Amino acid sequence: MYHAPVPGTVVLAFRDIRKSFGAVRALNGVSFDIAAGETHAIVGENGAGKSTLLKILAGLVRPDQGQVLWEGAPLHIASSRDALEHGIGMVYQEMLAFPNLSVTANIFAGRELTGCAGWLHTDEMRRRTRALLDELHLDVDPDAPAESLPAARRQLLQVARALAFDCKVLVLDEPTTALTDAETDHLFAIVNRLKARGVTVIYVSHRLHEVFQLCDRITVLRDGSYVTTLNARDTSNDAIVRLMVGRDLPPRDDTAHAGEARAALTIESLTRRPCFANVSFSVAIGEIVALFGLVGSGRSELLETIFGIHRPHGGRVSLDGRSVTLRSPVEAARAGIALVPEERQRQGLFLNLRLVDNLVLPLRLATRAMRVSRAADRREAAHLMDTWRIKAAGPAAYPDSLSGGNQQKVVLAKWLATGPRVLMLDEPTKGVDVGAKFEIHAVIRREAARGTACLVVSSDLPEVLALAHRVIVMREGRVQGQLVGAEATEEAVMRLATADTRAA
Amino acid sequence: MKHVRELSTVAILIAEILFFAWYLWPDGNRAHPFLNGPNALLILKYSAIYGIAAVGAAMVIISGGIDLAPGSVIALAGVVCGGLFVDAGWSLGAAAVAALATGMAAGGLSALLIVLVKLPPFIATLGVMGIARGLAFIITEGRYFDVSGKLVGGWRPLGLPADWVAPIVMVGLALVFHVLMTRFNWGRGVFAIGGNETAAVFSGIAVGRVKASVYVLAGLLSAVAGIVLTFVQGQGKADLATGYELDIIASAVVGGASLSGGRGSVLGAVLGCLIFGVLRNALPQIPGATFYDRLIVGAVVIVIVVLDQLLLRKGE
Repeated sequence: MYHAPVPGTVVLAFRDIRKSFGAVRALNGVSFDIAAGETHAIVGENGAGKSTLLKILAGLVRPDQGQVLWEGAPLHIASSRDALEHGIGMVYQEMLAFPNLSVTANIFAGRELTGCAGWLHTDEMRRRTRALLDELHLDVDPDAPAESLPAARRQLLQVARALAFDCKVLVLDEPTTALTDAETDHLFAIVNRLKARGVTVIYVSHRLHEVFQLCDRITVLRDGSYVTTLNARDTSNDAIVRLMVGRDLPPRDDTAHAGEARAALTIESLTRRPCFANVSFSVAIGEIVALFGLVGSGRSELLETIFGIHRPHGGRVSLDGRSVTLRSPVEAARAGIALVPEERQRQGLFLNLRLVDNLVLPLRLATRAMRVSRAADRREAAHLMDTWRIKAAGPAAYPDSLSGGNQQKVVLAKWLATGPRVLMLDEPTKGVDVGAKFEIHAVIRREAARGTACLVVSSDLPEVLALAHRVIVMREGRVQGQLVGAEATEEAVMRLATADTRAA
Repeated sequence: MKHVRELSTVAILIAEILFFAWYLWPDGNRAHPFLNGPNALLILKYSAIYGIAAVGAAMVIISGGIDLAPGSVIALAGVVCGGLFVDAGWSLGAAAVAALATGMAAGGLSALLIVLVKLPPFIATLGVMGIARGLAFIITEGRYFDVSGKLVGGWRPLGLPADWVAPIVMVGLALVFHVLMTRFNWGRGVFAIGGNETAAVFSGIAVGRVKASVYVLAGLLSAVAGIVLTFVQGQGKADLATGYELDIIASAVVGGASLSGGRGSVLGAVLGCLIFGVLRNALPQIPGATFYDRLIVGAVVIVIVVLDQLLLRKGE
């Protein structure tokens, strides 16, 4: 394996970092260097050890063994404050903001400018915040509470926070998960400006195209071990994916749906203001239709309305040609509709219940079971875990002990166990790693091949193109058009999704 | 923009006062039973007991916690102060200092259980509530300490009429802690922890230390309230201030504190206490209302909080 040479001086070096949590070895002797001024990606599947490595750098976790070297000298980081003081700024995957505090207070949280006895120099902090926001081209009021900002702005707020303290190394952990493409571009523009100023950037992301767009070198981790570091321009997307998962992945499929034309799900002029209006389309038996649109285009609300969570203001939903009125998710489930929601932690899983209860719940609801037999539940759950290859200690384990990909499989499995006629998935692979992503895609294709009508909402364009027979593009609550099979190219979809805004 | 919430509490208070002024307007030339100087002082004096403790409760709630101990700590501090002053013959100042230390110890125990043992604040302070009340009973053995009997007539602390002391202490403490919470790093930390504790840890805020200090200060403020109660009532007794914790929490919430943390105001909590103080004073003066006053107080809490949420939603 070819290792990229380190350009220039090493600013940060990991030396034989080992860390175990109980029996789980999160990091197994990881060593590599980060060069001054470079943009260095760390990639790997969930559980590869990226998060643990970042937490060590942030002072939230201490390694069992090994050292982090800062310009050649051992670095001791006891708290996230120490990390900031050394010039390491972190932007976390979870949006760690204080919703109740102002933009200024968020940026200075924990490092307030204070005088005697902790008197806050509010004016000075507000002045610096304004300068910082100007520098980032962020049109935000320093006094606005963080919760009044859209998600993307809150993410950029964290970048601003890292910059407020003159960081030399900026760590970005999955910063684009919640961002639209335009917002991602904005973030990248900022990162590029920082690079030009000599800031070293460590970039962690599942989205490899972003990694290639942004980074000079890529380090691959797998199962807690260091695999290799490559120059981004000497390698390819597929090569990195192979290194991450340690095996080859199935090729893409972009054929149109060739099966029956009979519609399983038809919606006509469905309207729920202000989310969407006059939406009409149908999904045929065995067809995979992707609903693409930028955040805020009303896609999730549409799925939730079809599923009976919200009441439509007008329009009709038909199943197999018969018009139905679904007043609740229970009715929808009984009618044969399943919805795999976007936020699995909040909407898809009961974190306080064991896997067995999570897995059999929709099944029991859909079949109107009054009595439950524990033995039957356990059998059913064990069967599902087996077929879905859910990696967990057993049916009695709790969902939060599972990786993101396995959690998503639980949510999928529990709904597919009901044998739905129509399967709706909202961002089914958000935040899951490449391996699990391909498995989930395979499952969706298998379900479709079995005759289930699949409606997939995704903002992941490559996923939409790879998976769908037909792509319906929504913008601001309206259907902009549809693209079938090979018509659906990245450019064509994006043109529809952004149509008017581009022309203007 | 920032003080809108306190202003709406003030508005409710004024509306309430106007209502009772109108409703209790006397016939002919008789004196107004509600709208007069001595009655206003009476309201302030009794509200101060709740108000001082509510300053602490508001801070605890803003930090994302809850404190069930104030009622018991008020009683315990009152008993310690009364006992040392009356039975042990301590000077008033020394007895008060001992009572304050007792309150801080009770708050310290809550802090220890919450920060180090990692108990949920509800459970930790529920335990401390029982312990503090129990200690008060153990100390008094069913007696009460007659403080008023030992005070010389016309007692004027710092040259002020005795009745003025409680309201002045309440206003003073409210202002001091309001400034601490809004203009000092410590208060910013309390808001941050209540808003997002994980983010607070990641930001390098000394979460444990700040949380502990909040409970210790809440204990201290309860003790101040206990000393005030002992002198207002003229006696130190173990069963005083029973159930006050819920009125105090209600005051903080009516004053804008959110039980999910991160939101609230010390001044608002004190204003909330005044709203209840006026109710408690005026309702018994309405003929036939005697049996309704708890019901009305309960309904007022719900109405104010619902109104607040509606306004909040509208503002979004």
